Amino acid sequence: MKRKLLEHAFSVVLITVVLVGAVAGIGWYERNARASEKEKTEVFGELAFVNFNDPFDRALLEDVANVYYPGQHDRNETALAEIASSHEQALAKKLTSSHESERLNIAKAGELLGMYLSFLIVYAVVIALTYYGVHTIGVWRFCLKRRELEQTQLSFFQKVLRLGRSTLGVAATFVLFSPAYVIAYALKTRLNTDTSLFMAVLALVSNGLLIVYSNKFYAFLTSESRKGYVETAYVKNLNHSYDPHASDGIPYRWIFRMRKRFDGHVFDHIYRNASFQYLPTLKEQASFLITGLIIIEMALNIHGHLSYEMLRQLLYKNYDIVIATILLVFYTVKATEVFSDVMSHRIAVGYENTDS
Amino acid sequence: MKPIQHLFGHKDKRWALSWVLVVLVLFLWDLHFLNRPSLKLVVSGFINTMIISGLVILFTLVLGWVFTILLDAMQSRRREKTHFVVTFLLNLVRSIPQIVGVLFGYVIVTTLHRQGIISSKMQLFPLLAFAMALFIFPEVVDLMRERIDHYRKLDFFNAMRVCGIRESRIVNFNILWRNSRIHIFNKLISVFGIAVFLQCSVDFIISVGLSTDVNPISLPPTLGSLLAHYDSKQDIQSIASLFSDVSYFPQLFTIHLQGVSVAFLIVFTLVSIYNISNGYAERNQL
Amino acid sequence: MNQARFSVEIATETRPVVSVSDFVIEPDTITFLFGESGIGKSMISKAIYGLIDPARLRVSVNGRNYSEYLRRSWTRNLQENSFFVFQEPSSHLNPLVRLHEQLNEGSLSKATNEEDVLRRLWQSVPAETLERILRIYPKPYRPSGGEKQRLLLAMAFKKIGLFQSSNPEDRTNFFVFDEPTGSLDNVYRNLFLELLFDTFRKSPFTAMLITHDYSIISEIFQKHNDILSRVRFKELVRAGESRVSVRDFSPDHYLNWLRKASGSRVPASSAGEVVLDVSPRFSIFGRKLGIYADHAKTRPARLTVRSGEMVYVKAPSGVGKTTLAKLIMGLYQAEEFEMKLLGKTMTHQTPPRMWPQKVWGKNAGMVFQHADEALDLEATVKETFDGLPLEKGRNRSLKTDIAELFEGEIDSSFLNKKVKLLSGGQKQRLNLLRTLVLKTGVVILDEPLNALDFGSIQRVLAILERHRNRGAALLMISHNEEIFDALVDPALVYHLAELN
Repeated sequence: MKRKLLEHAFSVVLITVVLVGAVAGIGWYERNARASEKEKTEVFGELAFVNFNDPFDRALLEDVANVYYPGQHDRNETALAEIASSHEQALAKKLTSSHESERLNIAKAGELLGMYLSFLIVYAVVIALTYYGVHTIGVWRFCLKRRELEQTQLSFFQKVLRLGRSTLGVAATFVLFSPAYVIAYALKTRLNTDTSLFMAVLALVSNGLLIVYSNKFYAFLTSESRKGYVETAYVKNLNHSYDPHASDGIPYRWIFRMRKRFDGHVFDHIYRNASFQYLPTLKEQASFLITGLIIIEMALNIHGHLSYEMLRQLLYKNYDIVIATILLVFYTVKATEVFSDVMSHRIAVGYENTDS
Repeated sequence: MKPIQHLFGHKDKRWALSWVLVVLVLFLWDLHFLNRPSLKLVVSGFINTMIISGLVILFTLVLGWVFTILLDAMQSRRREKTHFVVTFLLNLVRSIPQIVGVLFGYVIVTTLHRQGIISSKMQLFPLLAFAMALFIFPEVVDLMRERIDHYRKLDFFNAMRVCGIRESRIVNFNILWRNSRIHIFNKLISVFGIAVFLQCSVDFIISVGLSTDVNPISLPPTLGSLLAHYDSKQDIQSIASLFSDVSYFPQLFTIHLQGVSVAFLIVFTLVSIYNISNGYAERNQL
Repeated sequence: MNQARFSVEIATETRPVVSVSDFVIEPDTITFLFGESGIGKSMISKAIYGLIDPARLRVSVNGRNYSEYLRRSWTRNLQENSFFVFQEPSSHLNPLVRLHEQLNEGSLSKATNEEDVLRRLWQSVPAETLERILRIYPKPYRPSGGEKQRLLLAMAFKKIGLFQSSNPEDRTNFFVFDEPTGSLDNVYRNLFLELLFDTFRKSPFTAMLITHDYSIISEIFQKHNDILSRVRFKELVRAGESRVSVRDFSPDHYLNWLRKASGSRVPASSAGEVVLDVSPRFSIFGRKLGIYADHAKTRPARLTVRSGEMVYVKAPSGVGKTTLAKLIMGLYQAEEFEMKLLGKTMTHQTPPRMWPQKVWGKNAGMVFQHADEALDLEATVKETFDGLPLEKGRNRSLKTDIAELFEGEIDSSFLNKKVKLLSGGQKQRLNLLRTLVLKTGVVILDEPLNALDFGSIQRVLAILERHRNRGAALLMISHNEEIFDALVDPALVYHLAELN
């Protein structure tokens, strides 16, 4: 465990050093690059009588060059292309710098920190919700599947019900698998999609997060249900019906409650082991959620949010701010990993027979 | 009758087949109702996305296999320091949210593209795919290492070794190929899904956020960038009008066809891949 | 409960797994069911008990589909009154629940005989040790396999006690013990048998013991012959591709064979040269172990194996027989160890790469105990030999070797059959052959009779005998003491023990 924590600490330091180094490097490179560019082509960029967007003007300029430097057709052509592109870049710079060329100062850092905090809150809320959702959906699906195996002869009504349920299931899969931006744009005219609440809900139900991980949990349940100790539990006459209405079954409120327990039922053994097995997956789930949140913030152009800010600064080439945001995101991932490692370690130690 | 039953009897085959059929039907529909320039965009966007995602599979497989072998060799030769360094780097890659990694990969590649260092699709696609594979392949390494560890713990590995069979043969051939290729294949199916998802998202983000009139990104169209296209966004937004006017429904499939087609292709592909992978795992009892 | 006759069919979606039409459960008897592993003994008993997962296999019992069978009151009563001790005790205990909780779950909580049962199964173990075991969560190596096994047996005896004391209206009962002695050494095995028969004497019940341990027969004939009239010996044999059938197994058949074997055993000879010579003391994993020439452990001895000899090492389960074998093969690193292998001295300081360079597949070979683990199940019979360091031209003789080992069972398709489709006995023989074809001077055999039926046991022993006659040195490791005590000269028997 100590080793793991050390590794985490080391990677945090390493990434911080590398990225801060990168900021310095980029700054240095940019100053130099700008200086050298200036000498070469700036003169041409200022030819007021040439409209570089006009193909005719460009052709004219090329002809002129060919007259002055005869026999160097290729060289002239590349030179002109260079001039045109540098002209374009200058124009772009003029436009973007009018947006602002920001530096990372204290005010800006405070602003970023505020955004980061709201990012963290949404993240924490969604991770708690997905944790509950993944377990609940997984258990629910498992119980449903088991019940379907128990019932062999169905009445017409049950058949219709089952058909309706599977249709709904497929429809739900489509929504759950939609990338967040598809859902968000579909709803944009109806809802205010820029609120944190909307973001949290969207992160939960889109990008396939819920469905992929509840499916993983379901797979754990299935594979645990095939283990030997379940057979032993069964022959001890523990309850084993999955009918929610039977006295020896699993009622719905057991499935949906927060802390799940299934006392006196074979499924309790299965659930306990599956949740224990699932713990390490939590890390993966968290990192996937962060990816999802970043996609949402970036794709929806939500002003004043961390990831969108990163994208914006990337566009304006304020690399120090970009790297600061990346570091914040990286720290979040690391913090989650440490949290998850410590938690799984503590739970695992609980089962380690340390007392005897 | 039997071959049809054979195809539809298994969930994975059923979904694979219906994916092909539905995409074909959609194509025919679009052929009829969508204008030519849009159709051309949608078709090439779809094909480009599939090609890049296919390349991602290839790269993740190669990277995953190479790193697995490397790590395994280090472990069995007790090169603990190098082993630690490589695991550390892998964990580092894992700690970078995939989207951030891929986004920066894309930014670098597009910068190169704009500067004319790479020009053709032949160069561009593999680079984009590689940028993605770099952030996906640790998952493949995990799977392969898990498989090898499983067999190392059993007598399987030792029993073969003491018979004088080469270790590399046991790992590569007996364990990874003969006893894990089903697992690996299943992983690659889901890698394809991740690739489609990440690619669409990154393309969408870049097209929405990083391109302005002054900063044109002239990448070949993909499903993601098409979706970010002004027309498509409006098409998607029109879905919401169903809430106020259900009779608007048919128009989605005629007037707003471009955006709806693209969105449908993305979502349907993701759903299909999910079901194919699940069905495949179920059929092979993974 | 009347005698019940079952026909059971089990199949996957695509192919039949096993079917039987003459499976009989005789009430108030103890049936010992033999038969090679993988033939379907466990599966058929599980099907009758109602334990097969309908999501994975299709089952029909007496022509009824399985869910219908499970709903019958007969089946429900059976499940209410009975218990099933599964094989592989490790995987049949929940690793996240303390043992005493698992021992008192469900209907077991109502039984009152726990203390008595535990005391009898753990005889001579202090109460505190037992209490400590009950407090822990089951982990791979702790408690030991034998202890886990006895815990599961204790559950069964609690249930038997409950059945005997409650005297339910419906007396349908079926207590199944699947390989109950697989992880027990002879002392604990006999304790278990004693408890079983004593409980039975009190008031009879219906039990079935699935086992490969033929030496149980001798034990019963010696100590429990008073109830031989209530004991049945049966054998499950193959009757077709997936069809099996039950027939009587004659205990005399085994007992006579055993007598003959000990009469004709080969005396230790000093003709061959010494090929393996292991120091009498070594330590590994922080434990010190010693090799002795006698059971009382008064004479420490170098473990010496000459060519043309079969040497037998025995020890209670869990002491480290397999560890010693793996140590010789260089698969474990010892803290202290010394041996001479074909004249070369190797110690705990010898670099590990020496084994692949000099030993593996060249001078020594080892047959591992679980053929299912040791073989590549996805390979075909022929492919099993791919990659072995064989001389050129061995391929033709390989066929004759295989034919010899599988006489009467193979046709042209056998070589291309997947290993996973072979029977348990065939797999074990294939496992053996893979090592024997290497023709190494030393062969270590770790439980080569594991999971074999009597017919296969005889065949495997015959192969080993032929190999020994050709000059190979065999080091035998087995808990099957009765058979090897009969076969091996006492001068070539060594005892392994842990030093305090």
